[in-house]
Amino acid sequence: MVDVTFSVNGKEHSLSVNDNALLSETLRESLNLTGTHIGCDTSQCGSCTVHLDGKAVKACTVLTAQAAGSEVTTIEGIGEPGSLHPMQEAFNEHHALQCGFCTPGMIMAAIGLVNESESLDGDGVRKGLDGNFCRCTGYHNIVKAVLSAQQNM
Amino acid sequence: MEFQGESNIPAPCQEVWDALLDPEILKECIDGCQEMTQVSEHQYLAKVRARIGPVRTTFSANIQMVDVVAPTSYTLEVSATGGAAGFGKGSASISLVDHGSETQMHYAVNGVVGGKLAQIGSRLIGGVIDKLTTHFFTKFVERWTLQT
Amino acid sequence: MATETGIGASVRRTEDARFITGTGRYTDDINVPGQTYCVFVRSTHARAKIKSIDTSDALSTPGVVAAFVGADLAKDEIGDLPCGWLVKSKDGSDMIAPPHPPIATERVNYVGEPYALVIGETVQAAKDGAEAIVAEFEIQTPVMDVASATQSEQIHESVPSNRSYDWELGDKAATDAAFEDAAHVTSLDIVNNRLIPNAIEPRAALGSFDAASETYTLHTTSQNPHLERLVLAAFVNIAPEAKLHVVSPDVGGGFGSKIFVYAEETAVIWASAKVGRPVKWTADRVESFLSDAHGRDHVTHAELALSEEGDFLGLRVKTTANMGAYLSTFASSVPTYLYGTLMAGQYKTPAIYVEVQAVFTNTAPVDAYRGAGRPEATYVVERLVETAARELNTDVAELRRRNFINPEDFPYETPVALTYDTGNYAASLDKALEYANYSGFASRKARSEADGKRRGLGFSCYIEACGLAPSQVALSLGAGVGLFESAEVRVDVTGSVTVMTGAHSHGQGHETTFAQLVSDKLGIPFENVSVVHGDTRRSDYGLGTYGSRSIAVGGSAISKATDKIVTKAKKIAAHMLDSEEDQVSFDDGIFTIPDSNESLTFGEVAFSAYVPGNFPLDELEPGLSEKAFYDPANFTYPAGTHICEVEIDSETGTTSIVSFVAVDDFGNVINPMIVEGQVHGGLAQGIGQALLEHGIYDSDGQLVSGSYMDYTMPRADDLPDFVVDTTSTPCTHNPLGVKGCGEAGAIGATAAVMNAITDALGVKDLPMPATSETVWRAIQGG
Repeated sequence: MVDVTFSVNGKEHSLSVNDNALLSETLRESLNLTGTHIGCDTSQCGSCTVHLDGKAVKACTVLTAQAAGSEVTTIEGIGEPGSLHPMQEAFNEHHALQCGFCTPGMIMAAIGLVNESESLDGDGVRKGLDGNFCRCTGYHNIVKAVLSAQQNM
Repeated sequence: MEFQGESNIPAPCQEVWDALLDPEILKECIDGCQEMTQVSEHQYLAKVRARIGPVRTTFSANIQMVDVVAPTSYTLEVSATGGAAGFGKGSASISLVDHGSETQMHYAVNGVVGGKLAQIGSRLIGGVIDKLTTHFFTKFVERWTLQT
Repeated sequence: MATETGIGASVRRTEDARFITGTGRYTDDINVPGQTYCVFVRSTHARAKIKSIDTSDALSTPGVVAAFVGADLAKDEIGDLPCGWLVKSKDGSDMIAPPHPPIATERVNYVGEPYALVIGETVQAAKDGAEAIVAEFEIQTPVMDVASATQSEQIHESVPSNRSYDWELGDKAATDAAFEDAAHVTSLDIVNNRLIPNAIEPRAALGSFDAASETYTLHTTSQNPHLERLVLAAFVNIAPEAKLHVVSPDVGGGFGSKIFVYAEETAVIWASAKVGRPVKWTADRVESFLSDAHGRDHVTHAELALSEEGDFLGLRVKTTANMGAYLSTFASSVPTYLYGTLMAGQYKTPAIYVEVQAVFTNTAPVDAYRGAGRPEATYVVERLVETAARELNTDVAELRRRNFINPEDFPYETPVALTYDTGNYAASLDKALEYANYSGFASRKARSEADGKRRGLGFSCYIEACGLAPSQVALSLGAGVGLFESAEVRVDVTGSVTVMTGAHSHGQGHETTFAQLVSDKLGIPFENVSVVHGDTRRSDYGLGTYGSRSIAVGGSAISKATDKIVTKAKKIAAHMLDSEEDQVSFDDGIFTIPDSNESLTFGEVAFSAYVPGNFPLDELEPGLSEKAFYDPANFTYPAGTHICEVEIDSETGTTSIVSFVAVDDFGNVINPMIVEGQVHGGLAQGIGQALLEHGIYDSDGQLVSGSYMDYTMPRADDLPDFVVDTTSTPCTHNPLGVKGCGEAGAIGATAAVMNAITDALGVKDLPMPATSETVWRAIQGG
C-alpha cells in the first residue's frame, strides 16, 4: 500500500492505495467518480481520459502513486448543467454522443487537444483524437463539436 | 509458428553437449529462468519469468528430451503453462556438427501459444523468442569466450 | 404546437445532460453493500474434453468466497442457454441445437468458454482464486474452417456433420429455368468477414438475492431486460418472472451483442443466492473479444442471371453460415429470415432461390450484429449487380434503375416471402447521384491517375426489413416470442406525463424522440414528458431494442397509448364542457367545442381526472393512464442509395474514402438530428467491415485478433465526413409512417466501399477487409 495525496476537481484527497492501483481504478472505486470509464485493458480506447496537471492523459496509464501532488480533473470537474464547459455544450448541440460511454474521455481528450493546438481543422481534430474510440457516432459529429467548441474556448 | 537458426560455439562437441544438458548452465543462459530442475535423465522442470508485450507471467515448463543421439542430436518437447496468461507448447530439434575445436549448432523450433498470449501477444512472440535466443547464445558462448 | 420540439424537429437530446457531465449510470457504476466479485475461468483450448477441475486451491486462496463449476449449476437444475428461433431444414426437420450449459461441464468448445467461476471479496482475490483452479483437459483438434466444417470431426454428439440446419427459400425450379434462359450470368464467391461488435462499454452484471422475498435483482447490460427475465425464468429456471427483477440502466452501446442472454449474467444471478451476497462481474476487453457473440462470417456462392437487355431474370445463392460453437439466442434467424428474405433487394428479379446451411465451428457463438443478415444479403446482391454491370459494360446506376421496383408496383410481393409496402428507389438514387457529382467522376478519376493514384466509385442500393415483426408471421416461422411492443402513458395530476416503454435505449436517444412524439400529440411542453425504460418492474413488458424497431414498433405503441389518453380526455372534457364526446376537438393541447368560446387545457382535464369533482364517475373510472401493445402488420422497409468514392495510393495500397454519400428513405422522421447520427454510426461500422475489421482465429482456434492492438477499430482519422440526406415514402401500416434508421448505414455501406475499391483496382473481387496489404497485393498481382 502507498499513501497518496492529490487534488481531484479542486478537492484534496489523501488515500492509501495498492502500489499497483491505476488512477482510473482509484477515481472510480475510491472516489466514486464513475464518469471516468474503463473500456479496455490495453490503453487504446481512451474512455478513461482525464487531465493530469492540465494535460489529457489516459488514466489507465497512470499509477495512482504517480499522481501524488498533482491536480487531477475529471469529467465531473469541468462543468455542470447550467454552467457547462464549451466542449460539453458543443457535444450536446452537435449530437456528438449516443450511448455516452466514450463521451467523458472524448470530451476530456478534446479539451486537451484544443488547449494544445493553435487552430484546428477537421483533419487536425481527427488526427488529434485518434487515441479515443467511439463506436456509435462515426466521429462525424464529434469533429463538428470540437471545431465549434474551439471558437468558444 | 516456426523458425530455425544456427550458432557457432567455440568449444568441442562433447563439451557443448554436456553443457546443454546441465540444468545449472541452462538456468544461467535462459533469460528469466528462476528454476531448472532435472527430474530424470531426460526430463527437466523449469520456471521462467517472461514478458510478452503487456502480458507478464511465470511459465511452468515441462521439458522432455526425446530422440537423443549423444553427442549430436536431440529433440526437446516443451509444454508450458502461464496461468491466466495461457499456455505454450512446442518442440525444438537440435543438432551439433563437430568441427574440432568448434561446434556448429543447428536448431529448428515450432510451437503454438494459447489463451491471452495468443490473443494479445501472438504478434509479439516472434520478437520475444528472437530476444531469448540471442540472449541464450550470447550467454552460452560467453562460457568459453570469457574463460579464455 | 411546439414546432421547435415537435415531430420533425432536431431537438437536442435530454439524456445528454448526464452523459456529458459524467453522471450517467452504467452497470459497472453501481455498487451495493456487501457485494462480491466474480471472475470466470475460461478455456484456453478451442476443443477439449474436461478431465478434471480442482477448485480446492482456489477455495483456500485468501479472499475467495466461493468457487463453482458447471456441475454445481447442473445440480441446481440450472437450464441450458436456449436459442429462441426454430428454423426448419429443407426436409422439414427441425434445426439441431446442441446443449449449451452456461458453464461448461463435459467439454469446452471455444477459446473463452467459461468452465468455472470464482467469487472473491475483491476482484484481485477472485483473480488469484481463478489462477489457482487446476483443470486437466484432453485436447482435440478443433474445427476452424467454415467451408469444410461439414466434413470435419463432429463437435457435438447430437449434431452430425456439424450442421444445425440446411434451409431454403424460393422457387428452385423457376430459378434454375431462369438461368437456362439467361443471356448472361454473373457469379461471385464471397466471404463475409467475421466481425466483433465491440460496444465500448464491456458487458457487466450485478446480481443479488433477497432471501426474505425470494426475489432476485439483476442489473445488467442488456438491450432487452424483459427478454433477459423471460429466459432466466422460463429456460434457465432461476425463479418465476414475478420473482426476477431485471434492470438495464444506461447501456454503453450494444449493436446486437447485448440482445442475447449470456452465461455470465446467468451464473452471477444464480451465484448471488448461493453465496447469499450480491455478486458483480464486469468483463475486461479481452473477455469481451472472446465471449461477446460475434457477427457475419458467411461463405457464399452467388449468381445473377440477366437477359440480353440487362433485365434481372434470376438469383441463386448458396451460403454456409458459421454459428460458432453453440446457437446463441437468435443466431438461427440471422442467416435465414433476416438474410434470405432480403435477396430481392430493390429489384424486380422474378425468380430467387436461396440455400443456407448453418454449421458449427470451435469459435465464439455468432449472432445478430448491427444489420443482422441484411448487410450480408445486401453485400451479395449489390456486389453481384455492380459486377454484372461491369461485365455487360453498362452504367452501374442505369442497370439498377432499369430493374428497380417502381413506385406504382407497391405493395410488391417479392419471390422471397416479403411484401414491400412502399418505396421510391429512383428518388434516393437520383439524389445520391447529384450529391456524389456522378457526372464529374471521369474527370476526377483522370486527375487521380495523373497523380499516379487509382480512383473508384461504388454503389449500394440496399433494402432492409425492420420493425420486427408481425408476431404471427414470426411465430409461424419459428420465433419463440411475440414481437410486439408495449407502452404506458401516465398522465400526472398536473398534466405532465411519464412514458414507460418496453424499448430500450443504449444510444438511440429514446428519451428525446419519444418525448417529442408524446408532447407533440398532447400539445404539452416537451420538458413535461419523461421517458422511463430498461426496468422490468416499471414497464409492463418489452421486446427491447434491435432490428431498428424502436420507433416503428415501440413508438407506435406509445402513439396508440397516447391516442387512448386523448380519447378518454375528450370524454372528460365533454362532461366538463357540458357537451358530447363527438363534439369535442383536441388540438395543440386545447379541448374545444363548436360554436363556443369555452375551452379546456390538457392540464385542466388531467387535474379533473385525478380530482374528480366535475367528472362523469358513473361512466368513467378516475385517473388518466393508458397502456397499449402494438403488434405491427408488416415489416418496414427502409431503403436507400449509398455511393462511395475512393482514392488508392498505388505505392502503399492505402485506401482513402474521399466521399461517402448516403441517401435513405426512412419514411417520416421524428428527430432528423438523431436519425443522421444513427446513419453516421452505421456507416462507420459498415466501412469498418470493408476496410479494417476482422475477427481472426488461427488454425488452433486461438483468437489472434483479440485486443485493440490487433482488431482494427475505426478511429476518427480512418473515416471521412459523411454526406447524409433522406427521401421519404411514409410507411403505410404504422400510425407514425416511420420505418427505422438504426442499421441502414451498416447495411448499405460495406458493398458501396468494396464496389468502389474493386472499381479502382479493376478487379472482380477482393477479400474483406481491404487492408493496405490486401489492396497492395492486388495491385501487384494485376
